[in-house]
Amino acid sequence: MKYTTFNQHTVDTMAEPMFFGNPVNVARYDQQKHSVFEKLIEKQISFFWRPEEVDVSKDRVDFQKLSDTEKHIFISNLKYQTLLDSVQGRSPNIAFLPIISLPELETWVETWSFFETIHSRSYTHILRNLFTDPSHVFEDIVVNDEIKRRASDISRYYDDLIFATQLWQTQGEGVHVVNGEQHVINLRELKKKLYLCMNSVNALEAIRFYVSFACTFAFAERELMEGNSKIIRLIARDENLHLTSTQHILNLWIKGKDDPEMAEIAEECKAEAEQIFVSAVEQEKQWASYLFQNGSMIGLNKDILCQYIEFIANQRMAVIGMSPKYDVSNNPLPWMNNYLHSDNVQVAPQESEISSYLVGQIDAEVSAEEFGDFDL
Amino acid sequence: MSDDSTSPFLIEVNEYPAFQHQQDKTVLEVLESHDVEVHYHCREGFCGACRTKLIEGDVRYTTDPLAFIDDDEVLPCCCVPTSNIKLQTY
Repeated sequence: MKYTTFNQHTVDTMAEPMFFGNPVNVARYDQQKHSVFEKLIEKQISFFWRPEEVDVSKDRVDFQKLSDTEKHIFISNLKYQTLLDSVQGRSPNIAFLPIISLPELETWVETWSFFETIHSRSYTHILRNLFTDPSHVFEDIVVNDEIKRRASDISRYYDDLIFATQLWQTQGEGVHVVNGEQHVINLRELKKKLYLCMNSVNALEAIRFYVSFACTFAFAERELMEGNSKIIRLIARDENLHLTSTQHILNLWIKGKDDPEMAEIAEECKAEAEQIFVSAVEQEKQWASYLFQNGSMIGLNKDILCQYIEFIANQRMAVIGMSPKYDVSNNPLPWMNNYLHSDNVQVAPQESEISSYLVGQIDAEVSAEEFGDFDL
Repeated sequence: MSDDSTSPFLIEVNEYPAFQHQQDKTVLEVLESHDVEVHYHCREGFCGACRTKLIEGDVRYTTDPLAFIDDDEVLPCCCVPTSNIKLQTY
């Protein structure tokens, strides 16, 4: 079906499925087939923040004091997160928008992606502060084998869905030969690709950020790199919301509350979907090995980090109807909760409402002289 | 929350003896005050980390829950009991 940016036929969006129905025409939010996406949009917008609101200038001093092992951990994590948000800042738009049929879901995906671009901008903000010229960090992302391996696994399902959608929207159903390669395009195949892609995105949001989050917060526990930690807390809060949305989408399908064919596909692709999740967990564990290849950092080592990944994986698999795979029942990093608690990341209203407060409003340096004219 | 009842509702969780609901506290806060370990992240109903099975009773949400929960599950971080309740953590 050819995509149109404004479908001129009257469509009852209350009767449309989330994906592969009619293209959306009027962006209206007075009625919603699945109201959760409207609520997610409102929540996400209420979370709006700008990287520049957070003063990271003290981090530069802290960074110089880190050991080489710790510098490797810190910078590698930033590279990996930059990769993840580079993908997430564009892919949901390109992969999902052309096939979405509900206005509230369309706007949710746009809002979601937009926030991923804020995350990307914050990595530049952090790195610019640490290095006079951060180019070498960014340039390494497409050369570093450890990161490249993850990149291909993350983008694979998106790319597959995007290519199949393009063929379907331009050529229609059938067997198409492109560059000597045969592609079978029909709606069922497309829906399968969508299901696997959504599982891959869900695993990304559920698991892939958490090794680097844990490292960041472990630095903050030692009162190091606290500006960075404040930014990562804001990012973690957003990612939690994104995860909620993919969990809703998957469950609407699995429980037959949207497109009945997607419920069949969910059943059919159960093993494959589970494999996607398990691979993401394995890759995160390998990432932990890479980070700690030269040694551990205070408060964190490879084993405890792997246990934490297994712990959250169990919970996140259970939400989408998969049986927990790992033998960890207690949270091995209980202090993580303090950083993921949403009240602890609130930006003070006087700092966020008045625009003039927005740039460098926090002075991290307070010297003893400031109190010189105080009399007690 | 004072309109709910004159005597506090009871909260049973796993194998613990029943706890009395404390006014102005969410179910999660009550459990924490008795050192029951419940996983949490956001404490605002959008992440779903505290998802718990509701075996018996009813709750009222103080914040509209956004996280995905099944029909027989609740988010203790943003609800209060409206009857005696029985919970099972994961």
